[in-house]
Amino acid sequence: MVKTDMLPQKAEILDITQETTNLNIKTFKVKFKDDDFQQKFNYKPGQFMMVTVYGLGEAPFGFASSPTNKDYFEFSVKEVGSVTKELHNKKIGDTIGIRGPFGNGFPVETTDGKNIIFIGGGIGLAPLRSLINYVLDDKNRDNYKRVQLLNAFRSPEDTLYCNDYNRWESTKNTNVRYTIDEPCEGWSKCVGYPHTLIEDKLEWDLPNTRFFTCGPPIMIKFVTNRLKDLGIKPSEIITTLEMKMSCGVGKCGRCNIGHYYVCKDGPVFTMKQLGEMPDEY
Amino acid sequence: MMLKKINSSQFEKIFNKLKKEYNIAAPILHQKGKKELVEYSFIDDFKKIIWDKQPDTSPKNIIFPQNTFLGNDYNGNKEYDNNKKTIILGVRSCDLRAIKTLDQVFIEDEMYTDQNYKDMRDNTILVGLSCEKREETSFCDVLGIDAIESDNAPIYIFKEKDSFWIKVKEKEYEQLFIELPDGNKDEFEKLINKRRENFNESSFDLDIPVPLPEKEIFKSEIWKEMSEKCLSCGVCTYYCPTCYCFNFFWEGEGEESTKYKNWDSCMFSSYTVHASGHNPRDSKDKRYRNRIMHKFSYHPLNYEGLGCVGCGRCIDRCPVNLDIREALKLTEQFLVEKGGA
Repeated sequence: MVKTDMLPQKAEILDITQETTNLNIKTFKVKFKDDDFQQKFNYKPGQFMMVTVYGLGEAPFGFASSPTNKDYFEFSVKEVGSVTKELHNKKIGDTIGIRGPFGNGFPVETTDGKNIIFIGGGIGLAPLRSLINYVLDDKNRDNYKRVQLLNAFRSPEDTLYCNDYNRWESTKNTNVRYTIDEPCEGWSKCVGYPHTLIEDKLEWDLPNTRFFTCGPPIMIKFVTNRLKDLGIKPSEIITTLEMKMSCGVGKCGRCNIGHYYVCKDGPVFTMKQLGEMPDEY
Repeated sequence: MMLKKINSSQFEKIFNKLKKEYNIAAPILHQKGKKELVEYSFIDDFKKIIWDKQPDTSPKNIIFPQNTFLGNDYNGNKEYDNNKKTIILGVRSCDLRAIKTLDQVFIEDEMYTDQNYKDMRDNTILVGLSCEKREETSFCDVLGIDAIESDNAPIYIFKEKDSFWIKVKEKEYEQLFIELPDGNKDEFEKLINKRRENFNESSFDLDIPVPLPEKEIFKSEIWKEMSEKCLSCGVCTYYCPTCYCFNFFWEGEGEESTKYKNWDSCMFSSYTVHASGHNPRDSKDKRYRNRIMHKFSYHPLNYEGLGCVGCGRCIDRCPVNLDIREALKLTEQFLVEKGGA
C-alpha cells in the first residue's frame, strides 16, 4: 500500500519540443530535482502523473516516454485549459511539481509473444508512445512478434513525435504507417480515417494480435467497431480514458464511471471492460 | 469493560482535567444569523455541550476539515505534528459509522492511504453517545445501524436524565476514568433494555439489494423525476457525514505556494467538467444518480457496507425538500417492476 500526502515533488524542465506546427502541443522532458528520487522512480507505460503548476493547479498527463530510460521522463501537453496554458508558457530550467505514477498501465506482461498493432490519433499517440518506445527498445523487442503502427493526424501540420519516426521505422519486423484526414499536396502516405484503412491498405496480421488504440472518442469507436466486425475479441482491444481528476488515488471522487475509478482502476481498459461499465464517460 | 456512573458536576471535573492534555471537540450551539445550529467545535466549557439533540453537522469537520492545509513539498513539515490528541465527545452511532466509512476510503483502501487523514485519525479518540430517540428524518435502523450503541467507539456515553453512564470498552482508555465511581451493571442493563423497548422505529421501510445493480439502475427514469427540482446547491453533500469529495487549491504564487484540500461536491456541474468542455455528468439527473449510487452501489462494491448512515441530515437541510428515502423507494419500485416484467 502506498501512503500519500498529496504533495508534489519538484522537477526541472530539461527540454521542450514544439510538436505540431500549429503550436498547440508541446512535449516536456523533465527530471526530479532530487537525483536519488529520479533514479528510483519507476512507472509502467500507460500510467499517468499529476503535474502541478505551482500556485495555479494540477492536471493529469500520461507518460509519453518509456520507463527504460532512467534519466528523465516525458509528457505531452495540448493547450486546452488554464494549467495547460501555463505549462505552455514554461521555459527550460523552470520548476514544476510531479505526483505519481498513478493508474494501472498497459498490460505489458501478458502481451509477450503477440503481434501488436498501435492505432493512435493526434495527442492520443502520447500514452501509446510510452509503450511503443518500451516495446521497440532493444532490450524488449524480441519479446514481441510483428509490431505495426498506424499514426493518424488531422493534417500534416498536426504530426507528433517526428523525431521518433526514423527509429521506429528502422526497428526490425516493425511497420509504421501514417494517415491524415483529407488529401493534401505533398503528402504521399495514407489518407483517410483509420477504420477505413484497416482491411485493404495495411496488410495487418490479425490473429494473435493485441490492439492498442488511443485518440478522439469518435476514432476509438469506429476503429473498435471495425475490428469487432473482423472478428477481433473486445478483450484484445485496449484503450486509455481521460477524465477530470484531482487526487489520482481514487478518493476525490470525480473520475468514476460507475464504481470504477479511472485514476485507480484505469486509465487503461479493454473494450470488453468498457462494455460492462455504465455509459457515463 | 469498565462501567462508571457520574453526575454532571463529576463529568465537568473530569472534562476540565482532560482538556489540559487533550483538545476536546463536542456539539455546541452556534448562532448563525437567525439560525441556531448545533455543530461540533473545539471547546473548553463543559456546560456548553448539547446532549439531547442530534447535531446539525457531523464531526466530519474535525477529522476532515473543510479546508485542510497540506503544505508545499512532499516531505514538508505537518502543521499538526505537535498538537495534542483530540477527543471528540458525543458522537452518535450514525456518525461513528460515517467515520468508519471515511476510514475505509482514506486509510483502509488496499492501494492508497491518505497520510494526512490518517495522521488526523491516529490523533483522535472517539467517545460515542447513545441516542435516546430517533429524529423524524432518521432511518438508521433501516440501514442496520443501532442508534443505542455501536462498536465504532472505544468509549461510550449513555445519558440518563442528569446522570452519565460511561462504558469504557478498551483497556488503554480505562486510566482516564479510573477514579470515577463505578456503575451498577444490572441497573445499566435495565436502562438499555428499557431504552430499546421504547425506542421509536422510523416510519420508513426498504427492501433493495445492496450493492444496487449499477447497469440496471442506470436505465431507470427516476433520476430525471427526482432531480427536477434540485438546485445543485450541494447542501446535502456538505451536511452529509459520509460525503468526502474534495479538490485541491493553491495559495500564494509560484514555487512557494501552498496546497490545500477543500471539500467539493459531486452535485456541482463544474465538478466533472473536462478542460475541453466535455462533461460526463452534464445534467442534474446524472449527478443526483451518482450521489445515491455512490452510497448504495459503488461504496458497497469497492469497500464494505453502505455509504449512507441514515442520519437524515440531507432530508432536513435540502432547500427544495428532496428526500433520499423517496429516491430509494422509487428505486425499490423500479427493481420490483423490472423483476416482474
